[in-house]
Amino acid sequence: MKRRRSRYYGLIPIILVAAGVWFPGMRLFARENSGKQTTSLSPENTEKTGEQVFVENCSRCHKPPMTISPRTTGTIVMHMRVRAKLSRQDERILLQYLAP
Amino acid sequence: MKIPLLAACILLCTAQLGAQDAETDSNHAGYVPVLSGGIGYISNVSGGTSTLQPAIDPVLLLPLGRHVLGESRAEFVGIFQRRNGNGDYTGQVFSAVDYAQIDWLANTHVIVVAGKYITPFGLYSERLVPIWIATFQNVPLTYSIGTRTSGAGVGGQLRGVVLQTNKYSVQYAAYYSAHSNAYQWEAARTTGFDASVYFPAHRIEAGISYQRFLDPKQINSEAVYLSWQPPKIPLDTKAEYDHSYYGRGYWIQTTYTLSQVPVANSFFKRMELAGRLEQVFPLNGGGHGVPGIDTQRAGGALNYYLKDNLRIVSSYQRQFSSAKDVNVWNIGFTYRFVWPLWPGGK
Repeated sequence: MKRRRSRYYGLIPIILVAAGVWFPGMRLFARENSGKQTTSLSPENTEKTGEQVFVENCSRCHKPPMTISPRTTGTIVMHMRVRAKLSRQDERILLQYLAP
Repeated sequence: MKIPLLAACILLCTAQLGAQDAETDSNHAGYVPVLSGGIGYISNVSGGTSTLQPAIDPVLLLPLGRHVLGESRAEFVGIFQRRNGNGDYTGQVFSAVDYAQIDWLANTHVIVVAGKYITPFGLYSERLVPIWIATFQNVPLTYSIGTRTSGAGVGGQLRGVVLQTNKYSVQYAAYYSAHSNAYQWEAARTTGFDASVYFPAHRIEAGISYQRFLDPKQINSEAVYLSWQPPKIPLDTKAEYDHSYYGRGYWIQTTYTLSQVPVANSFFKRMELAGRLEQVFPLNGGGHGVPGIDTQRAGGALNYYLKDNLRIVSSYQRQFSSAKDVNVWNIGFTYRFVWPLWPGGK
């Protein structure tokens, strides 16, 4: 019985996250990807500059690189979006800044 | 009833992914496979014992479209010590797969990760471990708390941004790992989450981590952490407090880049000075990576960036414990590389 109960511990964070994030996320999903260039996640959110996003996020963990080859920019930013939990909006601004 | 619902969901997701692709086309970013990572060569002297540690940590990134990424990091570390204390250097090379995962970047709020992933616990394990990032080349004394048994989980993870405004951003990661004894896929059965809030105007991040270790003996591990890079001062302060059944402790680290030195600025702006203080106190006898006796460590580091991806690293720490006080020295270099594996791209 005890072992069975412990099995369900694994579901707790998944359910919490699904409830807290997925449902509001679905509502924002369509808005976020509607093709508008000034995508916002909340009413008071205005577009940041690429440099702002770059400096604010990269330097949280490491020294920002001086140069990134445009050929690899998309892949690197995808990687950093996963590692640094960047928003889709920040990813788009970063790509525009690093490989305009 | 379930099948049409599933089909509708897949169709919706496909349509949304298509819309995102069209949007991304407005820039010239290339999505070629990339081999990245770090190379390092560290000479370590700990308590009078000298060790040479060459290391290569390649990271392979394989994008599959704009929303799916396969990524893996391996680690090859040599540990070479003098035979009988003063003879030739001898040793061996250890290899490990740190992570091998598939990421589906569904949207801002949800990134689905499957495979072997680094356990998201505290500041250090996911973010500060790579040799080309680490200010001090040795991990904090509390590193094993929340990262048992291999520092990685095998299973699934959800991560992303809960909410983002210009003033703050709330991020999360939640995971479940199965027990695995498979070669290079060793992991314990664990579950947990990490959540943090970041204030970009002040560059302050505060977070918490929780893990339930589900293999015997079942225990909880918790961490709280803080990161601060004041916008007008080239300072980076990070601190973390960890607690588990086996021990508790903290580390605090501050790094100052000498970019504001008025003389010889082109020389000094490449130099960083750092200090780190850490303490660990075992509980219930310690063990599982936690020292069995109260241990403190304090010291400083001096790193110099020859280029933005090549630096000389050096550090000295004094470790205090009731068993023995020892000096820990590190000197060497680290290099970060990013190589495209495919010609072309936009």
